[in-house]
Amino acid sequence: MSRVVMDIDNLHARIGGKEILKGLNLQLEEGKVHAIMGPNGAGKSTLSKAITGHYDIEVLDGEIRYKGQNIVDWEPEDRALEGIFLSFQNPVEVPGVNNAYFLRTAVNAKRKHQGLPELNAAEFLREMKKLVQELGMKPEMISRSLNEGFSGGEKKRNEILQMMMLQPDVIILDEIDSGLDIDALRAVSEGINKMKDGKRSFLVITHYSRILDYIEPDYIHVLKDGKIIKTAGPELVAELEEKGYGAIEEA
Amino acid sequence: MRPVLLGSMSPESLMEELQAAPSRALAARRLSELGMPTRKSEAYRYFEIDPLMDHDWERVEISATSEIEETQRRIVITDGVVTALPADVEVQVGCSDAIDLDGAHFDPLYYLGHLMSREVISLRFRKDARVTIVHRCTQPAKLLAYRTAIYVDANVHVQISERYEGENACGALILSGHDAFVSRDATLTLVKDQTLRIGDYTPIFSHRIKVDSQASCRLHSFDFGAGSGLQLIKAELHEHARIDADHLLYAKDHARRGTVSQIVHIGQSSVSNQRAKNILVEKARGIFDALIKVEHSGKETKAHQNSKAILLNDGAYMASKPQLEIYIDDLEASHGSTTGQLDEAQLFYLRSRGIAKDEARKMLILAFANELIDALEDDALREDLHRSFEEAYWGTTNVTCMETCHGCEDLAAETAAK
Ligand SMILES: Nc1ncnc2c1ncn2[C@@H]1O[C@H](COP(=O)(O)OP(=O)(O)OP(=O)(O)O)[C@@H](O)[C@H]1O
Ligand SMILES: [Mg+2]
Repeated sequence: MSRVVMDIDNLHARIGGKEILKGLNLQLEEGKVHAIMGPNGAGKSTLSKAITGHYDIEVLDGEIRYKGQNIVDWEPEDRALEGIFLSFQNPVEVPGVNNAYFLRTAVNAKRKHQGLPELNAAEFLREMKKLVQELGMKPEMISRSLNEGFSGGEKKRNEILQMMMLQPDVIILDEIDSGLDIDALRAVSEGINKMKDGKRSFLVITHYSRILDYIEPDYIHVLKDGKIIKTAGPELVAELEEKGYGAIEEA
Repeated sequence: MRPVLLGSMSPESLMEELQAAPSRALAARRLSELGMPTRKSEAYRYFEIDPLMDHDWERVEISATSEIEETQRRIVITDGVVTALPADVEVQVGCSDAIDLDGAHFDPLYYLGHLMSREVISLRFRKDARVTIVHRCTQPAKLLAYRTAIYVDANVHVQISERYEGENACGALILSGHDAFVSRDATLTLVKDQTLRIGDYTPIFSHRIKVDSQASCRLHSFDFGAGSGLQLIKAELHEHARIDADHLLYAKDHARRGTVSQIVHIGQSSVSNQRAKNILVEKARGIFDALIKVEHSGKETKAHQNSKAILLNDGAYMASKPQLEIYIDDLEASHGSTTGQLDEAQLFYLRSRGIAKDEARKMLILAFANELIDALEDDALREDLHRSFEEAYWGTTNVTCMETCHGCEDLAAETAAK
């Protein structure tokens, strides 16, 4: 087993007054791709919110140890600066905030945190334009308001763009594949694969096997009723597709 | 002079008491009908007017016109007197006691302002022009009343930007405002930055805007000021006339500021579009009390009105009353009002990318305000107002090109590509 970069231990978390995560255990290994599958409402997005410090989540018990520290009380921006990134299931629209300005602010906040000099507008835009092209996004996305009026697929590509610019260490992708057409799925998967460097870890939340064909997970975890009830290799996907989640519980 | 004492006088005694010009008889009659404003008056129900009306004011004497300086594109009015005029803009400036008063204005102080101004400063534009008016007040603790009339001739397009400076006018009460006449097929763009850059006084701007057939008026008011202040606007729209009125307010501390307006659709196929955005901090109170009225004659009009407020503290308060009064059913109309905090989901999104909470809040507040600042067509004014807003909000400005100008990004990218 590789080194564990994030160790989630007995996590109990409440959202809107209701306990959703009920003693969840999960270890993310360095350089590995972990896929999480599970029925609607099982708590997958809740887990991603708990890891990133979303305001809706109240952690009742348990720990999220990341790079050796328990981060459950950390501010969201500190988690991000330390390398945690979430691609949202439903990215919000932020009218009036220019996409490029937003992303440059984020990139420079991270660079400052790392003790690196800030990128100037030209350096930043050169990089951003290159990635926008690679991801098959329209160039006008650069100067539009953040996610405002973006189609579902455009929003997802914009999440991947942010991921590629921010170069995080732990990447959570919450249904990155939903609503993507075939070309977008390929472009997004290629973007993700390019980020694999043997050190970065991925947590891919999905309902479909297709994206997993592209990005080849090392582990499949089944999340049901607030817990990880099974962990196995990629061969589990076929079994799930055939039998559904009901069979897993009986196993 | 205590304005409250004028409240119960007959028109004749008002004329005598205020030594008004004979042409102001209509103003005296209307003021005596409306009575002086109190906290019970419609127009001032959210504004603390009583202490101002009850105060024993010494009036600023309007001096005879002194020497007039020549400037570039600027008209300076100091204590109610024109002290500088542009050499390079075609505008006919004069003083006259003749004025075509609005006989149906809702604001008593519109009439008081006229009664107290023996002469009106009149600006007539016969050709397209762009000009800045700087209002300066230098008399502390006094009541200053003066009125301006703006005439935009048929087919003429004019942009006026206004600024206010109160050099030493702490504690003063200023009653001023425009009677603007936008003739057939003309355009008047009026950009008012009501933020007081120096000093502190209470301005009550009472405007009357008449938009003739097929003419249009764009009114952009920006108020990032402290203390008390109110603008009252009455606009009338004739056939195919149009008004777009945007009001951006940022108020903090104990400020009480805002807009009270009446837009009246008289002619058919007239259009009004009014948007207010309010950002309130600490214990500030914002006012947007706005009526759009469509008369029987206003067939096929379009009237849209919207107010949004963000309260950044528990003590802040927004009095938002958009209203429609409609006498016909053949029209397109909408109005709405929202008051709330910054959007938590948006804030979280920015923070989840490593942007610190304060910075993220600032980005969202600027974004909220930007919609109305970006609506300005004049590049230089837009930059000025971005800077002015940042200064008011942040204390300093660090507006960079990328925040405000998308053109530069492309330029930067092109240079980089070479
Ligand atoms: N803000 C909230 N208030 C109350 N309940 C919530 C809130 N957010 C989520 N829930 C509930 O928590 C449960 C888990 O939701 P979650 O979004 O984590 O599911 P999921 O596994 O991601 O499902 P899906 O596959 O449909 O995305 C659901 O029953 C949901 O209704
Ligand atoms: Mg989900």
